[in-house]
Amino acid sequence: MGNTNEMLVEFEAIGENESLARIVVAAFVSKVNPTLEELGDIKVAVSEAVTNAIIHGYEGNGGTIQMRIALDGHKLTIVITDKGKGIPDVEKAMEPLFTTKPEEERSGMGFSFMEAFTNELMVESKPGEGTRITMVKMMGEQDGSDN
Amino acid sequence: MNDELKLEQDWLWIPLPAEIDHFQVEQIRQKIKEKMQEAYVKYIVFDFQNTNLMDSSGIGLIAGRYRELAVRGGQVYVSNVSDNMKKVLSFSGLYRIVTPWEQVVVDEATEMELKE
Ligand SMILES: Nc1ncnc2c1ncn2[C@@H]1O[C@H](COP(=O)(O)OP(=O)(O)OP(=O)(O)O)[C@@H](O)[C@H]1O
Ligand SMILES: [Mg+2]
Repeated sequence: MGNTNEMLVEFEAIGENESLARIVVAAFVSKVNPTLEELGDIKVAVSEAVTNAIIHGYEGNGGTIQMRIALDGHKLTIVITDKGKGIPDVEKAMEPLFTTKPEEERSGMGFSFMEAFTNELMVESKPGEGTRITMVKMMGEQDGSDN
Repeated sequence: MNDELKLEQDWLWIPLPAEIDHFQVEQIRQKIKEKMQEAYVKYIVFDFQNTNLMDSSGIGLIAGRYRELAVRGGQVYVSNVSDNMKKVLSFSGLYRIVTPWEQVVVDEATEMELKE
């Protein structure tokens, strides 16, 4: 399948939009017939990135989150961007169990989930400017339309 | 669907929503807090019957309740975990601190048989 498709959405950095972002991605990839497992994985990964933008990037004060979704054949690329406070040390932030908000019962597993549930994860960030998360995942290479 | 928390003596049973994310967790955490002020809870059962998605916010919620109960000698159980959910629970390492409820029921039954 040489098909490509792309979409760009912007939404408010509020908790309600975590599920909205997952639904948008699920609908967008449905035409390549992903398996239930692939769909579950990408939804969790999106949830992690969007949640981080809301609670860490904008620290719950709101702002705009941009989500770009592109499909090139079976290759899905998702880019989630916030213009929040940014991450001073990305390498440290990506360590399993590292969190700057333990008092809010964060487990520091978000990046680990994004990494484990996609094929590629890239994190770019600048303190005071914002954060851009890029995730790539192969979807529906084995037709999941039966499940 | 009955999504009310149930309190019985020192047991708290928590039916979880379809998708457990940061937004949902905030609401559940509040409900748990209220119930735990009503009674001295020692045991919590998280019921995944209706759940098909959970992200790290859910992990934080469950681990948090574990820490709260562990100091009073209590325990956290998870029930009706689908294969889909097992992946997330296993990956997070949560099984080191919570017990599958179904396992407890089986263990107790075997124990009874052995005694007979
Ligand atoms: N978009 C972001 N903007 C600013 N800081 C971020 C952003 N995303 C992540 N971080 C920082 O990286 C840390 C690790 O993120 P990660 O998602 O792995 O864990 P967490 O969000 O703290 O906990 P969990 O995801 O398990 O609830 C965060 O605690 C935060 O300091
Ligand atoms: Mg996170």
